[in-house]
Amino acid sequence: MTRASLLFGGLLVLAVIPLFVQDSYTRHLFILAFIYAVIASNWDLSLGYAGLFNFGHLVFFATGVYTVAIAAKTLGISPWLAIPMSGVTAAIAGLIVSAPVARLKGIYVVLVTFAFGQLVLQLILSQSHLTGGAEGMVRIPYLQIGDYKFISDFKLGYYYVALGLLIVSTLYLLWVTNSTFGKSLLAVRDNEDYARARGIWITRQRVLVLTLSAIFPGVAGGFFAAYLRVASPEVLSFGTLSLALSMVLIGGAGTIIGPIIAAFLLIFATEAMAGIRGMEDARFLIVAIGMILVLRFAPGGLAQLVRAPRKKP
Amino acid sequence: MAGNILEVRNLTKSFGGLKAVNDLTFDVKEGELLGIAGPNGSGKSTLFNVMTKIPFGPTGGEVVFGNQRIDRMPPHRIAALGLARTFQKDAEFPDLSARETVALAAVYGRKLSRAGAMAATEEQLHAVQFDPARADMPTTELSVFDRKQLMIASALVMQPRVLMLDEPASGLTRPEITALDALLCKIAASGVTIMLIEHVLSLLLSVAQRLIVLNQGSLLAEGDPQTVIKNPAVVEAYLGGRAA
Repeated sequence: MTRASLLFGGLLVLAVIPLFVQDSYTRHLFILAFIYAVIASNWDLSLGYAGLFNFGHLVFFATGVYTVAIAAKTLGISPWLAIPMSGVTAAIAGLIVSAPVARLKGIYVVLVTFAFGQLVLQLILSQSHLTGGAEGMVRIPYLQIGDYKFISDFKLGYYYVALGLLIVSTLYLLWVTNSTFGKSLLAVRDNEDYARARGIWITRQRVLVLTLSAIFPGVAGGFFAAYLRVASPEVLSFGTLSLALSMVLIGGAGTIIGPIIAAFLLIFATEAMAGIRGMEDARFLIVAIGMILVLRFAPGGLAQLVRAPRKKP
Repeated sequence: MAGNILEVRNLTKSFGGLKAVNDLTFDVKEGELLGIAGPNGSGKSTLFNVMTKIPFGPTGGEVVFGNQRIDRMPPHRIAALGLARTFQKDAEFPDLSARETVALAAVYGRKLSRAGAMAATEEQLHAVQFDPARADMPTTELSVFDRKQLMIASALVMQPRVLMLDEPASGLTRPEITALDALLCKIAASGVTIMLIEHVLSLLLSVAQRLIVLNQGSLLAEGDPQTVIKNPAVVEAYLGGRAA
C-alpha cells in the first residue's frame, strides 16, 4: 500500500465517520486525535527528518493555546483570527529556541529544548495576571459562525475544523518533506560532513526546520484552546509530552504518516483503558511498555509495517 | 604558465601535543592534477579536512583560494566557492537515491533551481558513466564503484574549480581502477584542478602531473612524480629502514 493511497483512504473514512458516529464523546476523542496527530507529525519533521532530539515541541502547542486564550479572551479578538495568529507566535517561539539549538548536537539539544519548555512553563506560572498562572484561563470564546455554535450537533463543526487542520498540516508536511529542503534534512541527519561538503548550511537548515515545524502545533494549540475553552499549564506537563513523543516513536520517526496513525491508536487505546477499573493510572505505563517493545522489535515504528519498499531496477 | 589557484601557508592542525599537519606550505597550480602521497597517518586526509574545514579547521596557518582567504569561512561557503571534496570512506545519504544525492549538491552547492538541478544531475551522472538503471536505488544498495562514481558526480555537479579526491581507488578492482583512471583524465582535461590522495601508486603515478609526499604531517618531498617517488627519503618513509 502506498503512502498516498493510505492517506486518501484514511481521509475518506474520517470524512464520513460523523455520519455513523453521533455521540459527543467519541467525536471528542476523534478531535483530540486530530490535534495530537498534528503535534506528533510536525514534531516528526524536526525529530525524525532533521534528527534534532528536540524535547520542547509542546512549547509550540502551548504558545498557540495561550495566544488564542489571551487574544480572544483578554483582547477580544475573534478566535477565527486568533487561531492563525497562534501559528505565527509558535513560529516565533521556534525561531527563538532554534538560536541556541542550531549549533548543538545530541544530548545538548535534548537539554536545551527541555529547559526551554521549563522556562516557558515558569513564565506561564509567574505571569498570572496575563496567563491565569497555575489556575489557567477559562471561558475562552468558542468558534461560531453567525448563530451557529460549533459545539452544536454533537461537536460536528469542531470535528470538521480539526479534520481540516489535520489535512492541511499533513499536505504541508508532505510538501516540505518532498521538497529539496526536505531531502537536505535527511542528508544533514545522516551525514553532516558530506552535507556540508555539498554546500548545505546546517545551522540555517536547523533554524528553518524548527520554525517550520512549530507553525501547525501552534495552530493546533490555538484550536485546542477555542475547543476546550481552557488554557492551562497542564499542556506542558510531562504526561502530555511523553504521550506526544510516544506517538512519534511508536508511529515511526521520519515517516510523517506513522505518528498520525499512532496518535489515533494511542488516544483511543488510552481512553479505552481509562474506562477499565484499575487501569486509569496504569494506562500510561502500558503505553511506555508498548513504546519500548516497538522500538525493540520494529525500530522504524508502525509505519515500517505499511511502508512500500523502494523501487528496485 | 598557470597561476596558483590554491596557496597553503604554514598550515597546522594539532590534537593536543600531536601535530597531524605540521607547518605545511605548498601551492596548487590552476588546471594541474596534484598527487598527494604518504604513509598511513602522514596527515593526508587531515590536510583535506582542515582545508575544507570538514569536520574541523586548522589551528594555524592560512589557505588562500583564488584571491580569498578561506580558512576563516564556514564549510558550506568554501564548498560553494568551488572547493569540492570526496571522502576516504564511502560517504552516502542512506535515505536518498543517487539521483537525489547529486540533485541536492546541484541545488545547495551550485544554487540551481530544482528543474535546473535535475537537468544538471542527468548530465553529470552520464558524464561519470553512472548506470542510469541504478540512479533511483537507495545509495546503500550501490556497489563500491557506484558509490565512488556517485561521490565524484555529486562533487562535479557543483562545478568546482578544485576537486579534492581522497583515495577514490580504495576498494576497487583492477578494471574499476582503469575506468577511474580514464575518468580522472577526462575531468582534468575539462580544466578542473584536481588534488588526489591515493595509495594505489600506479594510478597516482599515471595521472599526477606533480606529487607532494607527506610524512608525520610535514612536507617530505615535492616535484615530478617519477623523480619524487625515487627520492631516498620518500622510499624510507614508505618502507622504513629496509630501503635505506
